[in-house]
Amino acid sequence: MTAAAVAVPATGEGLAARRALRDARIRGVAFAVLGVIAVYLATSSFAIPASFSLWIQQQGGDSAVLQTTVGTLWVVAAVGSAIVAALQLIRGAAFRWRPWLFVVIAPWLLALLANLLSGKPAILTNVIAGSLELATPIAMAALAGILSERSGMLNIALEGKMLIGAFTASVVSSLVYITTGNVLLATIVGVAAAMAAAGLTGLLLAWLGIRHKVDQIIAGTVINIGAIGITNFIFLRVLQHNTEFNSPPSVEPMRLPLLADLPVIGPILFSAKPYVYVGYILVIFLTYMIYRTRWGLRLRASGEKPAAAGTVGINVLAIRYRAIFFAGLISGLAGSYLSLATAGSFQMEMTAGKGFIGLAAMIFGAWHPIGAFFAALVFGFADAVQSLLSILGVGVAPQLLASVPYVVTIVVVAGVVGRVRGPASAGQPYEQG
Amino acid sequence: MNRLKAFLRRAAVPALSVVTALLVGAIVIVLTDFEALAKIGSDPARALFWVETVNGKTVISGALGGVVNAYGAMLSGAFGDPGRIITALQTGKERDIATAIRPLTETLVATMPLIFTGLAVAISFRAGMFNIGGGGQLMIGALGATITAIMLAGQVPSPVILIAALTVATLAGGFWGFIPGFLKARTGAHEVITTIMLNYIAALVVFFALRSPTLRAAGSTSPVSKNLSPIVDVPNIINLPNIRLDYGFVVALLMAVAVSWLLFRTTKGFELRASGFNLTAARYAGMSAGGSMMLAMALSGALAGMGGGFMVIGTVGQLTLDLSGSIGFTAIALALLAGLRPSGVVMAALLFGALTNGGKLMGVQSGIPFDLLVFIMALVIMFVAAPGLIRSIWRVKVAKPAPEIAAVTPTGAPTV
Repeated sequence: MTAAAVAVPATGEGLAARRALRDARIRGVAFAVLGVIAVYLATSSFAIPASFSLWIQQQGGDSAVLQTTVGTLWVVAAVGSAIVAALQLIRGAAFRWRPWLFVVIAPWLLALLANLLSGKPAILTNVIAGSLELATPIAMAALAGILSERSGMLNIALEGKMLIGAFTASVVSSLVYITTGNVLLATIVGVAAAMAAAGLTGLLLAWLGIRHKVDQIIAGTVINIGAIGITNFIFLRVLQHNTEFNSPPSVEPMRLPLLADLPVIGPILFSAKPYVYVGYILVIFLTYMIYRTRWGLRLRASGEKPAAAGTVGINVLAIRYRAIFFAGLISGLAGSYLSLATAGSFQMEMTAGKGFIGLAAMIFGAWHPIGAFFAALVFGFADAVQSLLSILGVGVAPQLLASVPYVVTIVVVAGVVGRVRGPASAGQPYEQG
Repeated sequence: MNRLKAFLRRAAVPALSVVTALLVGAIVIVLTDFEALAKIGSDPARALFWVETVNGKTVISGALGGVVNAYGAMLSGAFGDPGRIITALQTGKERDIATAIRPLTETLVATMPLIFTGLAVAISFRAGMFNIGGGGQLMIGALGATITAIMLAGQVPSPVILIAALTVATLAGGFWGFIPGFLKARTGAHEVITTIMLNYIAALVVFFALRSPTLRAAGSTSPVSKNLSPIVDVPNIINLPNIRLDYGFVVALLMAVAVSWLLFRTTKGFELRASGFNLTAARYAGMSAGGSMMLAMALSGALAGMGGGFMVIGTVGQLTLDLSGSIGFTAIALALLAGLRPSGVVMAALLFGALTNGGKLMGVQSGIPFDLLVFIMALVIMFVAAPGLIRSIWRVKVAKPAPEIAAVTPTGAPTV
């Protein structure tokens, strides 16, 4: 039939290959179906205008306007889906579809957005920049998840660690600001404290899981529930009546010199809050660390085959402790973003599932930092569109829009888009001899 | 005698876990009492513990005094005042008796949904499924019951509505639990993530449903449903004014018996436990592991949903956004505390029902937020799951944890 069908070996590891081929075909058909849906949607929407504008230099300056119709955007989405479907069906299991997904998702999301706006103009720069901002904590949570799962520890507790990070950042930053009045110092100390607190929580998780062999899921649940309990308790008992302890100076956007002056791209990528830049750096840094250093190789070995790693003299447990600690630092950073850079203060249960959505981004990105970053971007986009639509008053119930990230998370975790294999030994305790 | 010994050995870890968690809770109360602690340099006695008589009333203050006040309020909120109950019973005045025994019956009222959700957690954990979506399943069940009751109001007799509402609640909750079971069995999606996501979705679905004028209380700006008690009400056990305890509690106890029978006296129950204990072995023995997962999750959700149904048409009387509150978390803590035994679930639910009910009075009387209990429950789970901690804190020899707790997640389970 196709080249891929021939490529399947008739014997031996045939089962896995057949399964991969079947998955590939399902994927190909799914992309084709998306294309057909896009064509169907296009037929009825050529009359609706779509108008997107992009700031060229900066907010409020000159803008480039893209004038088209919703139907045209759907046609573009249909063509994109058709190309990827064809590639997938022709090349079968050997097709590296993950990067190509962008060709399907990006025009689809744009067309969907135009369809929902139904004629109202939107500023695309703000939507994309907003997606980046909203994706940052999710991407950071995903990075933390990658670090710990690559080492062989499940990390259900990201949510709780982010919550503790958000809480600590707000309180410490407020206190430092009250005593010194220095905004920069307050922010830095607040973020550092958030990272330390979440890092220590991570150590507690690792200690329960490694030393006491508590099931890693239960240990994570303990931390998630405990974090909600203790932060709500202190919020209600102390912060509610002493709001000055919960009024940190907020983190403002920062234009990167030179880069921010790039036309069109500058306002999107380089005029954001510093957290976004830290996110970029972390993604690149962790990709390098995990795939290009000895430390990364040992980390991956501990997660895939700890017994083999132990045999060649790698201290698996030490690696796991350290990985969970670093994961804690990153999730604390992500948490501090929520209280310092978005809400301006700590609110009860403000993480609202972002830690779990981060785990979904990790899975969607196949445990790779760059993949996880783009997956987080999709969730960020969903959030950004949701706030845009509610500002414009588009007639979709806010509750339904708000549930989109959660539904997408379930779909992703269920591997509907494409099953991926995680680290082989994640979640299993390791007995070091 | 030996059975008693075995029971005491088994009960040592759970009992010490609760005690330790409450002690840690006390430390948290002391450490967050900044107003009292600020005086520690100038007046250590007043800062820590101070008893004085103001207007003929004994007033305890100070940071440690705050603990006494808080836990004292929790106790009297949960059990009432024994002396007052006896005097009320002697006088025989209905209103006095009702006021005196109300704390006790309210504890049972708080216990009722905890038994349902605790059994739900126990049944899923036994099958190796870590269902932490009890809260969401309860909400969906409650929503189903609410919609049924309002739709059928005035068209059929009230007992029919009662049964219909409970059936819909059970089915709706079961469906909400079946989704993660199905996803786990078919795609390997980890139930912890899917159940948590379904909790958020359930809250949004209920919020969305409560926008509809059919369900929402007339003239209300906040998302609460109409009062259901004029339409349908679960009969009360004791007919006294202001006493909400109804036959939902009895059904909860019957469910504990039913779950116990199912798990330990039937083939299906054996299969459930076998796939939770060792998935590979169960598969090898020819059992359908995927079937067990789906069944366990559906039953689990059905129990939680039934609990939600009994709340809205019985004790609470209307659907609100915070109906499930901390019940989902509490259920996990108490099911683990109970060693996943149905009889233990009932006892642990009584304990946590008392804590929950007492916690409300604690919030009102001593200003200690209810969320302290959420933190304490997390600690209880931690101590029960890590008996080594209890052993080293209390320097006692304790029984090894039941194997079924050690093996909550099946070996070779797909990664998250």
